[in-house]
Amino acid sequence: MRNWFKLISMAAVIITGALLIYGTHDMPAWGDPDSPANSHVSPRYITEATKKTATPNIVSAVLADYRSYDTLGESAVIFTASISCFFLLRRIRNKEDHND
Amino acid sequence: MTEYILAKYNYWIYVVLMMIGLYAMMGKRNLVKKLIGMNIFQTSIILLFVSTGVKKGGATVPILMHAGHEHGAQLIQVSDYLNPLPHVLMLTAIVVSIATTGVALATLILIYKRYHTLEEDEILAIRRESRAYKTPRILNPTD
Amino acid sequence: MIWQLDILLLIFIVVCAIAAINIKDLMGAVIILGAYSFFMCLLWTEMGAVDVAFTEASVGAGISTVLFIAAVNRTARRSKD
Repeated sequence: MRNWFKLISMAAVIITGALLIYGTHDMPAWGDPDSPANSHVSPRYITEATKKTATPNIVSAVLADYRSYDTLGESAVIFTASISCFFLLRRIRNKEDHND
Repeated sequence: MTEYILAKYNYWIYVVLMMIGLYAMMGKRNLVKKLIGMNIFQTSIILLFVSTGVKKGGATVPILMHAGHEHGAQLIQVSDYLNPLPHVLMLTAIVVSIATTGVALATLILIYKRYHTLEEDEILAIRRESRAYKTPRILNPTD
Repeated sequence: MIWQLDILLLIFIVVCAIAAINIKDLMGAVIILGAYSFFMCLLWTEMGAVDVAFTEASVGAGISTVLFIAAVNRTARRSKD
């Protein structure tokens, strides 16, 4: 039963991997400077970030200035995770106190 | 043919990593092993996105060198610096992945407190048994 | 971009990933996952993504390993597969 399940999951993984490797046929060559990801939005950031935000590090400029709402949402995610961890682990300690 | 392999072998290794993570999530019975597989899966996707920002041919890290100078604007060539956009997005993704890992580990500790095992088949057997005999001795909330 | 270093790091990463999901001792698997994260951090430094490498070294290899070790300490250490 267990070996059977492992065989099925291995077959599914191999088929998915083969399909994904077939899909890389259409991707641009690795490290191509003229690929679509490198030629549309980022030239504007590279040329104008220092003029507009006075920050030499472009990653910091984009993270905290152009896309600061993104960072705000990220901190909301961290806050939710920490609150849920706090409540999940706090219930255990209460139960142990009741038992003792 | 050699050129094609040299242009694509990085993507193939990322797919192999992703499939190792997927196999750990599907085939392994231990819940910590499943979580390790989830981490490997997330890291391979982040690796793929970061690698789309690579430019071959002399590009350096996206930190401007002549920022303080007056004529700094004229010196900026787009092909001299890497694409900063995937770096920013994946910075967010790494922090979100640690948040999901933390919540999953807290849930794992709760599961161990209730069932005293982390193997998926044993947990399912305990649940099936307690449902068959209508004696929720392990699922009792005051336990 | 040095392609020899690139291939070496990718081989190390794949070996670490396979070892991390095949070791029966969960503490060892978690430590190998930390090594995997550090190799990933080296690979990103080599690709030029220094901010991502900083974050991965502190968050992925540091805090994540500490959380995993704390959870494995509180639960079972042996695994059946």
